[in-house]
Amino acid sequence: MSERRLLYFTASGHQLYAWNGGKLSLEAVFSDNEDGVAEFRTLAKQHAGSLYYVVADLAGEDFHDETIPSLRGGDRQSVIERRLAQRYRDTRLAAALSLGAIAVAGERRNERLVLASFTNTQQFSPWLDALSEAGAKLAGVYSVPLLASAVASKLAAKMGAQNSRMFVVSMNSAGLRQSFLEDGKLRFARLERTGEMGADALAAFVRSETLRLVQYLSSLRVLPRDGPPITALVITPPGQREVFEQSLPSDGRLTFRTIDLPEAARISGIKGADRIAGEQLYLHFAAKNPPKEQFARSEDRKGFLIWQLQRGVVAAGALGLAACCLFAGYKWLEIMGIREQTESQSRETRSAEHEYQRVTSTFPVTLTTTDNLKITVNEFRSIAARTAVPGPALAHVSRALEQFPQIELDQLVWRMDRPTLTEKVAVDPSKPIPAGPAAQPNPAAAAAAAAQSDFAQLLEISGHVNATQRSDYRSITAQVQSFADALQADRAYEVVRTQLPFDTTSAGTLSGDIGSSEGNDTPRFTITLSRKAGK
Amino acid sequence: MNFTAADFRKLALPIALALILAGAGAALIWFVNRQLIVVNSKFAAVRTERTQAREKLARISEEEREVKERIEVYRRLRELNIIGKERRLDWADSIQRIRLSREMLDVKYRIEPQKVLASIAGKPGKVDFNVSSMKLELALLHEGDLLGFLDDLRGAGNAYVSVRRCAITRSGSGAPPPGASILTPRLRAECQIDLITVMDAGAKA
Repeated sequence: MSERRLLYFTASGHQLYAWNGGKLSLEAVFSDNEDGVAEFRTLAKQHAGSLYYVVADLAGEDFHDETIPSLRGGDRQSVIERRLAQRYRDTRLAAALSLGAIAVAGERRNERLVLASFTNTQQFSPWLDALSEAGAKLAGVYSVPLLASAVASKLAAKMGAQNSRMFVVSMNSAGLRQSFLEDGKLRFARLERTGEMGADALAAFVRSETLRLVQYLSSLRVLPRDGPPITALVITPPGQREVFEQSLPSDGRLTFRTIDLPEAARISGIKGADRIAGEQLYLHFAAKNPPKEQFARSEDRKGFLIWQLQRGVVAAGALGLAACCLFAGYKWLEIMGIREQTESQSRETRSAEHEYQRVTSTFPVTLTTTDNLKITVNEFRSIAARTAVPGPALAHVSRALEQFPQIELDQLVWRMDRPTLTEKVAVDPSKPIPAGPAAQPNPAAAAAAAAQSDFAQLLEISGHVNATQRSDYRSITAQVQSFADALQADRAYEVVRTQLPFDTTSAGTLSGDIGSSEGNDTPRFTITLSRKAGK
Repeated sequence: MNFTAADFRKLALPIALALILAGAGAALIWFVNRQLIVVNSKFAAVRTERTQAREKLARISEEEREVKERIEVYRRLRELNIIGKERRLDWADSIQRIRLSREMLDVKYRIEPQKVLASIAGKPGKVDFNVSSMKLELALLHEGDLLGFLDDLRGAGNAYVSVRRCAITRSGSGAPPPGASILTPRLRAECQIDLITVMDAGAKA
């Protein structure tokens, strides 16, 4: 935080105060001449990092009511600058105080202003130039009346003396300061020299000057002729409040409210307020809570504005960091919550595993781990389910063959395999065996059979029929069909393919050579039998 | 009021500082987001572990029954040396012994190199099911010799015998010629047999 220094600027001399945490301390007094300016320049160079506030308490301060069209931004600023230039010859120290908008039915919306400046602005120039040369930062040039609004707001609230129209009267080093406020905004002010006066005389002087001011403002129609009483808040010199109260009786025009200066200072938050001058009350508000309106041009305040910009940029960065920290903090809380849940779940897992270990420790002693035991036995069973031995199938064929002595087998091929599409064709034993080199596949039946099981025992039986003429197709077909039926008597077995030695279908060729070499050429057949694995 | 280059230079340091602060904030958020992803991922994994552990615990009685049921099968497989390394010499001895005991005339076999039939991940290690294919040719007096040979081979252990295919064909006429030896083979069998062994990485010595 930069140090703050306040230059109290009066017609008789100038005082430099340092403001530190609510405490004002007088650092230097300068005479209003070249030497004073030089001393000030030297001191400003020594404290170039400080923020400087110039608070003028001069008699020659002009206030002028003005009305401009209601505008915003650059347009409003241009109009105000033009009005100030029209009103004042030197606008280096001039201010426009807004009194708010006025709207009259049927007319455009306007804004009321009070244009304010000093009669003699040249007296400030050497001091402002000295600050500029020293590289010091001028925060603003204020007048005591500009600060009266803040003083009144603070004190009236404490004293219960709020009023829309109010005079703030104080006895400063420069003289008797009277500021007129309307709705908390400055309308007019004046400074009257007091000289050396006793308390009674001063109180009487305050009363007479306040009444004069009322008359003056009434003549300007700033005050209505017949209105409610106006509050005059009088800040009395230390220890003179009782005298002032006796000398300032209220009437229908004015209601005097008095407060002792040290008490006002305490209410305002000034530290070490017992022995202060009246102007220090205003200086305190200039340092602590300066009003937006002030007199200096932005060119004279460039150093301060850059300083503000620097602070603003850094503050924006800090604000960004703070926002990120807040967001990160919120997320971190979420992380902490998840970690707690994770830890809780881990504990539950460990507990379950511990319980599992405890229970499994009572299991029979195994030769491997439980997982591998299950894997090994399950897979072994799966392999075993796809495995068979040929013995039962051969015994089944042998039993069927005993009923057909005329049939002689040439070859038996047993295998465990996935039936091919042709072999998967189901044969209905009640129907005649389809004749031909191979039974025609039925895709629907094949798909159904495929869905049932992958592996099956397949037994391919090749043989021939003895004691039957080669040309006796009907007898051979009947005997092979009977043999096939016998093979299917056990429902576990199924004839999936039959191959006869001739083709009796309409699509095939059927030939015969009756009586020539019969008996030498034995008709051969092949039957494929299926039994599903595991049956 | 116009800003000069010197005025802008005065703003360089604050701008840099602000950027550093904003960057630090962004880095902080990035870090926190990364942490959030990590803890979320860990939480998901732990939750899955917990669910599995609780399910495992809930199934423990069933598991006990399964273990009791399977332990006998596993023991039997170990006793038969089906679990363990391949014992080719024992296989050869077994075939020789069976041939002699059954007085078989001609037995030819050829065992192919071992292959992996199935490899299943387990805890603490995988379980490999290995297979060695054997081609067997037998001269038979009758088909009972084949069935007896296969029964003896299965009973000999040292591998799980899975018969894939057997073809039995007549090797001569139905009746032996007059004066021929009564031991003349009448049938010939060709079989394809898988000899399966198991390597269990979790097996205890």
